Amino acid sequence: MEIKAQNIEIAYGDYLAVKDMNILVEKGKITTIIGPNGSGKSTVLKGLTRLLNYRKGSVYLDARNLKEFSAKELARHIGVLPQMHSAPPDFQVKELVSYGRMPYQKWYERCNEEDQRIIDWAMQATGVWELREKSINECSGGESQRVWIATVLTQQPEILFLDEPTTYLDISHQQEMMRLVKKLNRESGIGVVMVLHDLSHAMEVSDWVVVIKNGKKYDEGKPEDVINPRMMREVYDVDCDIINIPGREKPLIAYREIS
Amino acid sequence: MKKKSTKRQVSALRVGTVWLVLLILLAVLSVVAVAVGSAGYSVGEILHAIFSGEDSTIKVIVVNLRLPRLLLAIMIGASLSASGALLQSVMRNPLADPGTIGVSAGAGTAATTILLLFPSLTNTVPLFAFGGAALACGLIYSLAWKGGIDPVRIILSGVAINSVLSAYNSLLQLLYSDSLQGVLAFMNGSLSGRSWSQVRILAVYAGIGLVLSFMCIKSANTLQLGDEMAKSLGVKVNASRLFLSAVSAFLAAATVSVAGMIGFVGLVVPHIARLLVGSDYKAMLPTSVLLGAVVLLAADTIGRTIVPGMEIPVGIVMSVTGGPFFLYMLRKKGKVSGN
Repeated sequence: MEIKAQNIEIAYGDYLAVKDMNILVEKGKITTIIGPNGSGKSTVLKGLTRLLNYRKGSVYLDARNLKEFSAKELARHIGVLPQMHSAPPDFQVKELVSYGRMPYQKWYERCNEEDQRIIDWAMQATGVWELREKSINECSGGESQRVWIATVLTQQPEILFLDEPTTYLDISHQQEMMRLVKKLNRESGIGVVMVLHDLSHAMEVSDWVVVIKNGKKYDEGKPEDVINPRMMREVYDVDCDIINIPGREKPLIAYREIS
Repeated sequence: MKKKSTKRQVSALRVGTVWLVLLILLAVLSVVAVAVGSAGYSVGEILHAIFSGEDSTIKVIVVNLRLPRLLLAIMIGASLSASGALLQSVMRNPLADPGTIGVSAGAGTAATTILLLFPSLTNTVPLFAFGGAALACGLIYSLAWKGGIDPVRIILSGVAINSVLSAYNSLLQLLYSDSLQGVLAFMNGSLSGRSWSQVRILAVYAGIGLVLSFMCIKSANTLQLGDEMAKSLGVKVNASRLFLSAVSAFLAAATVSVAGMIGFVGLVVPHIARLLVGSDYKAMLPTSVLLGAVVLLAADTIGRTIVPGMEIPVGIVMSVTGGPFFLYMLRKKGKVSGN
């Protein structure tokens, strides 16, 4: 599934957060949206997933306008993990993950065997199978983030939207999360659109990077083309060198020393 | 694997046990409620009176007075608890209860107005109380509506509307301070002197409301995950919130119109149910309903027997006993979450 946003404009009251935004998300690719705080990256993600309404422009899923989808139908095609989510602390992991089947069920329907099979697959794919009988408050930060990914994965989306999936995680769990994203993309062919703060992660896992500054698209392209010293200075006001190391596929970002 | 499967059974077992204990409690309390009172009877006497076919004082008291009162207490407790449980999910707030969305203040305003300004219409109080509750609730929601329902805005408009209405009520009570008997009874919730006609009315309303509330279990659960998450799972968040609120208001308004304002049940019973069986509405809502019935029946029975020759309104008994018990539960379990 391909997503195309044409000239979308999103406002919070009078404040214009995103303007003239054109984005093309190709099928099966990992697309990362980067930009400074307040640049509108999360807003773009919410616009693409209908969590926020756009004032102008249109978004197409394949050739179909996003606004034509019913809520449940949309949830069968795309899965979104928002930045803010919560679950009652005593909810069991497998119970929470099973909510991902809601878009496929009528209000009176319970999980059938097919649903259960997909729930089990999602828990295994995200490595939370062993935790399934635990309650959410017994899970660590990294574990519960994976439980949420499993929940969204249970929707069997063609595209997964993740809003800062590594925030609040330590470096080892950040890397684990990035490995998981890449694995899901490679093995299941799921497209991924995510907002990231860590540019090294963006460099390493993305097929395509979109840079946003002040609500407008500054640049887009392959990560090694887009993440460069000029962009870093103009968008983030940070000086850095991009270093290629033999034997390493992607270049490293070396920030200037803090004095 | 083995350990895990036993753990799962235990949690289902726990819910089952809680339900069984509550059902037994309800049965025992029902027998007690019919037997005790200003005149006490043994179970044998009661059974004989009901089934013998003779007209006796016992039969009149039991069938015409105590039985309808028993059934009302059960239905009111169940309805108020279900109402509160749904609202706590809608508002994602542990302090939400039917008072929050103006049901009590609206019904109170209508009842006070009729009782004090138009005493000849006293018979229509239930009808107007129901209407007043619906009106106040509708007003709060329309004031809070801004492209969607924001729980915080509802709670704040609720506070504003509630304060205006209660000021009006106080003013009326000051002006008519010599005829407050009926108003006080309404404000404190009482089941005194209720008959089968009220049982029949409430049975219809509570029946409809409770069935609807059980249909809301899934949406109540998903609303607990946060608005954006619920939305991305394909839930129409605003529509769900409106529907759950409507069911909740309907249940509360129906009870207020029959028995006046009984506080605390809708607030506390869902919390205790949550402490007993967890936050999953599949277990929590039925537990609330059962527990609410038990609690209100106990409170009413205590209220009409503890001081001989005098009735303490059930609303007062609820508040006096429920508060300390809730604090005890809080300290013991150490956690109460609103969502």
